[in-house]
Amino acid sequence: MSEAEPSYAVGDRVRILDIGKPGHVRTPTYIRHKVGTIERFCGMFENPEDKAYGRWGLPPIPLYRVQLKQDDIWPDYDGAPGDVLEIEIYDHWLAPAGETT
Amino acid sequence: MVDKLTTDIGGDSAGPVPQEDRDQLFWEKQMIAAFNLLQVKGVVVTDEFRRTVEEMPADYYANSTFYGRRLDGMVRLLIEKGVIDADTIEARTREILESGTRDHV
Repeated sequence: MSEAEPSYAVGDRVRILDIGKPGHVRTPTYIRHKVGTIERFCGMFENPEDKAYGRWGLPPIPLYRVQLKQDDIWPDYDGAPGDVLEIEIYDHWLAPAGETT
Repeated sequence: MVDKLTTDIGGDSAGPVPQEDRDQLFWEKQMIAAFNLLQVKGVVVTDEFRRTVEEMPADYYANSTFYGRRLDGMVRLLIEKGVIDADTIEARTREILESGTRDHV
């Protein structure tokens, strides 16, 4: 079983996808289609989308912390201009920001 | 587009968050201890528990409590995995309710 390699580096611009997967997923809908920046690589983790159904979730998959500007998420955001949100997203929910979903 | 999960409420309009201060009940402590032990022993994993909560009907979820969800999910997983059967838990629940507990006399 080959392990997936991290596809993104810190600072890469990424788009969070809506992969239309039913069942247990860890990517909330409010963040889908939004663009952010890779803040860090968190490590390789067993896939929770499989573990939720009694499977092992192997091979481990890359997890990243993605930083997004609050202004980019909420059109009517009225907090401080520099506010950001950081959220942990698995590799298969990300695409390079240049690519459309 | 798949339907949103029941728990996926980020960005939805909502009223104020009710705040309540109260002591933990005895059954709540016992139940959390049992759940933690099942996790340590590898019988259940957190992701499975989260999935059981997401599978609850929306109105049931809306009226549920933290400990109630934990108990429901734990029981459901134990039945699903064949660790206990539904009849046994039903009978034992009745027995406990009839005899009273530290929390409910």
